[in-house]
Amino acid sequence: MTYKVTEEGDTSTVFLDGEIDMDKTEGAKEVIFPLIDAGKNVNLNLSNVQYMDSSGISVLIESHQKALEKGTKLIVKDVSKSVLKVIMMAKLEQILNLE
Amino acid sequence: MSTEVGDTTNLSEKKDFLVNSSSLKDVRSFSREVFEKFKINEELREELVLAIAEAAQNIVKHAYKDYPDTQDRMAVRISCTDKELEISFFDKGKPVEKSKVKHRAIDDVKPGGLGTFFIQEIMDSIKFKEGDKPWINNLVLTKKL
Repeated sequence: MTYKVTEEGDTSTVFLDGEIDMDKTEGAKEVIFPLIDAGKNVNLNLSNVQYMDSSGISVLIESHQKALEKGTKLIVKDVSKSVLKVIMMAKLEQILNLE
Repeated sequence: MSTEVGDTTNLSEKKDFLVNSSSLKDVRSFSREVFEKFKINEELREELVLAIAEAAQNIVKHAYKDYPDTQDRMAVRISCTDKELEISFFDKGKPVEKSKVKHRAIDDVKPGGLGTFFIQEIMDSIKFKEGDKPWINNLVLTKKL
């Protein structure tokens, strides 16, 4: 997994890349969590993530809940078809902010 | 990777992997390669890869929970007839307590507890067996084709 972060005002956009599994979740959290802790709104762009398992889904849930606690917003953007299928299998399409 | 070919409608591939989270990508690669060889359609293929990866992840996370630096290996065997896929996992970790294998309530949204749910959603049957020596656990997943 690789990533890139861009900043615009109080919003950070995190572009994740590759396959997100148990081996990659700590790296994803290390990128996303500090931004939420700093009070940023976070756009999580998943257009280049081709695979995500339950560990990756847990990162999305944890990030979403963390943002709610901090009074910021996490938007999951441009989800690839394969990852959207997993999000829907977890019945999270109405829980996460998807765009 | 070893191949066992019975006849044209009975194929089987088996490979072993170090029990470690870094092996999960290799488990997925192996599975994709086998499903391509078995001509499983692409949509089903990715669902099956997810189920296999979740089962392998469960071995790493649960059967070897207390042994993160193990050098043990787990094996995955994918067998296919014209009617059914059978995917078997073999490991030498802590024996599975079947009563404890359950996913979280799906409407209780919190991190974790989804791997087993995904496996149940994708596969038709899940059976935990005692492994024949040297294996301790043998998980068998099946899917009708």
